[in-house]
Amino acid sequence: MKSYWFLDREGGTCHSMPRDPGILVEWVQELAGSGVADMPEWEWAVQCGFVKDRSEYLDILHTTAMHLAGILLERELKADHPELILMVKMLDQIDSVINLLSERAVEWYRVLNPEFSRKSALPQGRKLRDLMREGSVDALREILDEIDQLAERRSLLAKRVSAKAAGVLPNCSALSGGLVAARLAAEAGGIRNLSMMPGSAIQVLGARNALFCHLATGSPPPKHGLVYQYSGVHGSRKEKRGKVARTLAAKLAIAARIDYYRGELDPMFITKAKEAIRSAGRGP
Amino acid sequence: MIWIGGQLVSEGPGGVYGERMIGGYRHWSPKRSKLSALYYLGRGVELEKHHRVLYLGAANGTTVSHVADYVEVVYAVEPAPRPMQDLLVVAQKRRNIIPLMADARTPSQYLPLVEKVDIIYQDVAQPDQVKILLTNAGFLAPDGVMVFMLKPRSVDVTRSPADVAATVEEGLSSGGIHTDGCIWLSPYYPDHAALICTPE
Repeated sequence: MKSYWFLDREGGTCHSMPRDPGILVEWVQELAGSGVADMPEWEWAVQCGFVKDRSEYLDILHTTAMHLAGILLERELKADHPELILMVKMLDQIDSVINLLSERAVEWYRVLNPEFSRKSALPQGRKLRDLMREGSVDALREILDEIDQLAERRSLLAKRVSAKAAGVLPNCSALSGGLVAARLAAEAGGIRNLSMMPGSAIQVLGARNALFCHLATGSPPPKHGLVYQYSGVHGSRKEKRGKVARTLAAKLAIAARIDYYRGELDPMFITKAKEAIRSAGRGP
Repeated sequence: MIWIGGQLVSEGPGGVYGERMIGGYRHWSPKRSKLSALYYLGRGVELEKHHRVLYLGAANGTTVSHVADYVEVVYAVEPAPRPMQDLLVVAQKRRNIIPLMADARTPSQYLPLVEKVDIIYQDVAQPDQVKILLTNAGFLAPDGVMVFMLKPRSVDVTRSPADVAATVEEGLSSGGIHTDGCIWLSPYYPDHAALICTPE
């Protein structure tokens, strides 16, 4: 007697399964990966009275598979928190939109005020926009207002990303900050993917061009990708950055696994990891 | 295969992904589907009404929908959630598509639902493509064929496509699989190849 998705082998005789998708799906999941499942032979489904013919067999198979895929899809979406990743992608995209609009606004302003271009050190962001309101035209001022609005949205969203990351990736966030943690997850293609990466891969996440340039031509490998944004990396002396990035990435790899599989903050681990990262930045 | 005025088409309800209709048939563009490109090059495997197909790497269901128009049943394996959402919409309308959300590296996940098939079509663009094909060869009926889409750039970017293809052919033959060599899909897909494989 064999174990098919449409029959149970208990008792040594044909035990047709009930034709309820919910029960069938549970049975399929039990069989999947169990090693006792057999590749289905549809003729058995007819012999055991599960269905009357091939087309009915395919029909129930379709219903069952659709049901199962729906359940797996929902489970996957819940575990991988795609919302966090979309939020951080949205954030980065708003950033680049703000930059593009600001650049264009500066160009416009320079035409109105030719002496403006001779100013060597321009302020950044909001201050720059305030400066440009003087001696400008209404049309440009209105656009500057819009950019201000967008910048406000941006900082609000950044706070929300951090808050969400602290819930979804508590350990990674504790090490590198919520934004960097969320960006790493986005770059890795999900929290699950991030949790399966070795530290060495996390270290160069976000440095794709430099990495492939290194692989293809043998140029020096990148020391850091996204982890550069962590203050402990970009704040260190140049010759220490590689070491800090490497230590941080190694600890992030562990943190990502705790986050994905356990989902809770581990204060002991965080204390030790932070100490390791700090000491990587010290020394001669 | 159905051709109308030199264009490959399939017969079925349209509007799956905004494809053009030609005389009531769905245009199967070689620009949208590597499998279609293979038919345009005259090297595809004839799909028949009674065929059962295992499709690895079903993605959004674009190519799957055309295959389903031709054959009896398509077992469509796709691991990623986002494309699976689209695939489920396609499978809602085409009841001969059996969606399977699983990684083709672990066939035991879908083994309980998949019967012996006449054709295995694989388009996964992964570094371990060859191994994935070998692990799934058990689903093939004795006189079945496998259509294997190779993307050398996904196997190893640092080596030339021809070089990667040679290694892949070796890997297949040492895995007990016979091929008639690479069919390069240019001009439709530069640096992509198809291999028609049969177990030895």
